[in-house]
Amino acid sequence: MYLRCSGNRFNQNATDLLCKEGASFRFQLLRLKMEGEGGCIGNPSSANMSQQLPLLAETHKLVAEGERDSVFESLEDTHTETMGLSAINEQKGGTQVVNPRPESTTVCLTDSETKLCGYLHKQGGPLKAWKFRWFTYDEKKCQLFYYRTAQDVNPLGKVELRNATFSYPLQGEEGTFHIQTPERTFILKAANRDAKMYWLQQLQLRRWQHRELLCSDSSLPMPEQHTQNGRQYLDTCPANFLPVVKIPSGLVGVEAANVPVQTNPLNVSIKHPLIEIQNSVHSFLLRRPSAEVGRSVFWVESSATQADTPKTNFSQSSNSEDSFVQTLSPSSVLPPDLECERPCENLPARGLSLMLPNGKYKKANSATFPFDRKEANTIERLSHFKQENLTLAMEVQAQKELVWLLHKALEAAQLEKRACAQYLAAENEQERLELLRHDARCTADLRERLEQLRHENEALKRSLEERDAHVKELQDSLKLLMEKNHAKQEVIVKLSEQVSTCMADPKRAVSFERISAEGLRQLVQEMDNLKDDMEAYKTQNKFLNSEIYQLTRLWQNSSEQEKSLMVKCAYLEANNCQMESRYLVVLRKLQENKELPAEQRVVIKNLIDEALQADKRDAIRFDSFRDYDEYGFKIIPDYEMEDMKLLAKIQALEIRSHNLLQQETGDRSLLARWTQFLGGRSPDDLSSSEELKNLVRAGIPRQYRASVWCWMVRARTHTLRQRHPDLFQKLCKKSQATPHPAARQIQLDLHRTLTTNQCFSSPSSPMVQQLQRVLLAFSWQNPAVGYCQGLNRLAAIALLVLQSEEEAFWCLVAIVQFLMPKDYYTKTLLGSQADQRVFKDFMAEKLPRLLAHLEEHGVDVSLVTFNWFLVLFVESLPSDILLKVWDAFLYEGTKVIFRYALAIFKYKEDDILKIHDNVEIYQYLRLFTKTVTDGRKLMSIAFLDLNPFRMKHVKNRRAVHMQRLQAELNELEKLQNEYSSENNQRKDNVFDLIPSEDDDDA
Amino acid sequence: MAIRELKVCLLGDTGVGKSSIVCRFVQDHFDHNISPTIGASFLTKTVPCGNELHKFLIWDTAGQERFHSLAPMYYRGSAAAVIVYDITKLDSFQTLKKWVKELKEHGPEDIVVAIAGNKNDLGDIREVPTKDAKEFAESIAAIFIETSARNAVNVEELFQSISRQIPPLENTDVDSNESFKITRQPPPSARRCC
Ligand SMILES: Nc1nc2c(ncn2[C@@H]2O[C@H](COP(=O)(O)OP(=O)(O)O)[C@@H](O)[C@H]2O)c(=O)[nH]1
Ligand SMILES: [Mg+2]
Repeated sequence: MYLRCSGNRFNQNATDLLCKEGASFRFQLLRLKMEGEGGCIGNPSSANMSQQLPLLAETHKLVAEGERDSVFESLEDTHTETMGLSAINEQKGGTQVVNPRPESTTVCLTDSETKLCGYLHKQGGPLKAWKFRWFTYDEKKCQLFYYRTAQDVNPLGKVELRNATFSYPLQGEEGTFHIQTPERTFILKAANRDAKMYWLQQLQLRRWQHRELLCSDSSLPMPEQHTQNGRQYLDTCPANFLPVVKIPSGLVGVEAANVPVQTNPLNVSIKHPLIEIQNSVHSFLLRRPSAEVGRSVFWVESSATQADTPKTNFSQSSNSEDSFVQTLSPSSVLPPDLECERPCENLPARGLSLMLPNGKYKKANSATFPFDRKEANTIERLSHFKQENLTLAMEVQAQKELVWLLHKALEAAQLEKRACAQYLAAENEQERLELLRHDARCTADLRERLEQLRHENEALKRSLEERDAHVKELQDSLKLLMEKNHAKQEVIVKLSEQVSTCMADPKRAVSFERISAEGLRQLVQEMDNLKDDMEAYKTQNKFLNSEIYQLTRLWQNSSEQEKSLMVKCAYLEANNCQMESRYLVVLRKLQENKELPAEQRVVIKNLIDEALQADKRDAIRFDSFRDYDEYGFKIIPDYEMEDMKLLAKIQALEIRSHNLLQQETGDRSLLARWTQFLGGRSPDDLSSSEELKNLVRAGIPRQYRASVWCWMVRARTHTLRQRHPDLFQKLCKKSQATPHPAARQIQLDLHRTLTTNQCFSSPSSPMVQQLQRVLLAFSWQNPAVGYCQGLNRLAAIALLVLQSEEEAFWCLVAIVQFLMPKDYYTKTLLGSQADQRVFKDFMAEKLPRLLAHLEEHGVDVSLVTFNWFLVLFVESLPSDILLKVWDAFLYEGTKVIFRYALAIFKYKEDDILKIHDNVEIYQYLRLFTKTVTDGRKLMSIAFLDLNPFRMKHVKNRRAVHMQRLQAELNELEKLQNEYSSENNQRKDNVFDLIPSEDDDDA
Repeated sequence: MAIRELKVCLLGDTGVGKSSIVCRFVQDHFDHNISPTIGASFLTKTVPCGNELHKFLIWDTAGQERFHSLAPMYYRGSAAAVIVYDITKLDSFQTLKKWVKELKEHGPEDIVVAIAGNKNDLGDIREVPTKDAKEFAESIAAIFIETSARNAVNVEELFQSISRQIPPLENTDVDSNESFKITRQPPPSARRCC
């Protein structure tokens, strides 16, 4: 912005120079020749300036050669690289003011070009339709009037430009531009872009000129004079930012009025029907287009008020009306006697031109600096008053005119009267008297009117005087401000002079350098010092960087070392645990051995006591280890039974050793695998795949478990949920209103569910309440099952993982109704019993040796495994393994239970084979699931060692056993029925037999 | 001292305190919120009886009605059955009668039946009068005792009286169960003809 201003100033200076040399000419366009142009003054701070200076040099040269006009006109066509310049010499009061002007302003120099007018499309009306309108600019009022056609007399409206802003949208139809006044926005459209730019620039210019006109003092010449002299508003001009658009031929100006008007009915103004009619009447009656522009102005201002008066009075004489029109016409532009009264003033020298010693010219112009607000305000007020003043003067003039007219009319009337009197002399006396009276009356009337008008005139004069006084006042203040401005300008000029001297004068520059040479040397010294400092800092920085790098490496090393040491420690501790557990096993064995001598027994007893006591000492060591896992399960289960303490300790040690070894590797790699698999996908919106199946078998990391379970449960219960969207809520309500018969049992079991888990240990725990709602809802969801002991554990696990009542409910539904075979939890647990037989079949197939061993010792595995199947290993397997079993079960179904049940036996096969006692085997089997510590080993047995494992096989076996069981059950029922009917017949108690037995004994 | 293994099963309605009785007997411990038994649980306890050691192999069964069909697995081959009812629940006494019936129909013929009226500590809300239960027990020649697992009342005694009912090993050289059968079992013909 600053560069532009300064550049502009330079232009002015250049033109000043031209004028000083007496050149009186105008030029329109100059091509900038920047490359290889000499005389460029090296001002590094202003690129713009350096671009424009060559121009000056060239201009100068051209002027000297005296061939300016022709050369400049030949350059007219170039726009993009040109700089609009127009230098007009004004000689008034000895001042020469030459300003750079947009090329288009030259248009104003001839009368035909002065008029800013043309056809434009105007958007308006409720339909926002484009209407073709004739626009013409009124300089005096700074208003843009628009008509339907160029020939119209009455404008449809006007656009006040004084306070208007102009803009154009980047999008939209070509040629569209906006005029925004405080009242409204006019949307206009020129024929093309050039025309639009022309209009915009012109409007800007006009607005600017008007503004200048208003704020200039009384020495400003009349606008008419400007027009006539061909010098117009030369004082200032808006800064030139854009290449000036040349006048689009045929689209604007007076000749544009010849453009045939569109006969589109839509073009008719809807808003101004009256004006439309008036216009059409006028164009019909008076086809005098030359007078129309002037008349239209007159019409708006005075036709309605003053022109009517004479009209009515002289209606009988068509002649007088004609003369009226004629007399008014010349003064309609402006009353001649008012011209001198107008507060006009010649243009002051706005800028001071200065000749610099080296021959370059500088000039500061006030126009390039914005007025301060106060000044602007005053100016506005002043202009307002001026306008009012003008209007009033016009009114007065009109009144005078009228008086003069009336006099004329009176004279004519007297003449006529005389003629009439002569004529009437021959007539009868009575009539003549009547006529005379009539005339007298008329005269009296006219006199009265005259008097009235005089009064009005006087009043107006008075107000005019008042306003004149006011205007004087304002002008005084304006002068003051102007003076201030001048002073400022002088300062600026001085300053710019200095600047240019410094820049342009090589001698001065040298002297300046000489003066500052000492300081410079100092500066250089300082700079050197600083450079040294910088160098020092750089080295320091490099050093510190290396330091940081090294420390980081050191830290990494030591942390890696620490990690490896921790692993080692864990490994050693695990080893220690295993050793300890083995030692305890040995102690236990020894304790059981009754053949040892009493002495040794005492020693062993002491050792055991010590080992058990060590547990308490170990508490410190175990502290780093949590007691409960993420789901609230005890990591190391405790055994209340006295004789189990040693065993429990052994197992705790084993679990600990296992956890220590697993911790580092297992869980982390699993999480990594899952994260990679999900790859940003949501873990509750998956699709089944072999990869996912394998991942689920390995176990779902805690972070994803709830989501994946949710997805699996949804996948199973999808259709049911769609059919009954609010099923859980409805069932909750139902179970509250009418409790299922199973509600009592549910209530009894609530506080006896997963009591070792933190979340269920307290009866007041919220999880317990949730469990109740889930179970009650389920009792109505599946009345055939209602509540089966064991479902409480399933629901509890679902709640722990899913952390949502509703999801847990659906998980229960998924397990009971979709995953498990039919009749698994119903009245006779037929499905469960059948599965026990299926399981035995698989034992025979997969673990024949073990089954043979168990059968040999009369061990029925179903006594142990029945609840594994019914409650999915809850409270059998350690929680971490349990949840992995559930992961796979929810994904794959019941086959997983068989796989794991078999895997557990296979895992412990060797141990079991070593036991050769029925009771001992049972005792072993009672707790052996809890001693399974290596979940990964168990998993690999379940899913690898036991293959092939086909679901079809499971289904077939199931069908067979279900059938057999059903038959057995039927048989049993039949027998029962028979028996009871028999009993009823005999009418004696079956227990009667027993006393008879006793009798026998006796 | 010879050890005799005695398989004992506990039957009865759910919640009457079977598991609690076993827990009291085996571990001398009482837990208010003892987990409901699913399927069955197996515990052992050895008690001296005369010059013998009786090792009780206790099968504690699930009480809910639908688990009834599993019961034969547990009472099959049992020397004794403890049928427990809750003295505060008349229903549980009715269930007890069903169990007695089922045992007579399908159970081992020489089985020792003991009736335990549990929760004796809750006498103030008793629903089953001792007299009624005692009379019924007598009518089937069963052991009758009122217990409290909570207060450790009569739990030991219950098992001791079962022990006493088991005839000593000296009776036969081969198998206690065998001799027991001979003495206790009514001739099959007698049953069938009736
Ligand atoms: N007051 C009292 N409550 C008992 C007694 N025995 C068991 N209970 C309670 O009765 C409920 C059911 O006991 P449980 O042993 O599971 O019964 P089971 O289903 O027959 O095995 C538990 O809440 C026990 O605390 C007792 O002797 N007195
Ligand atoms: Mg129980």
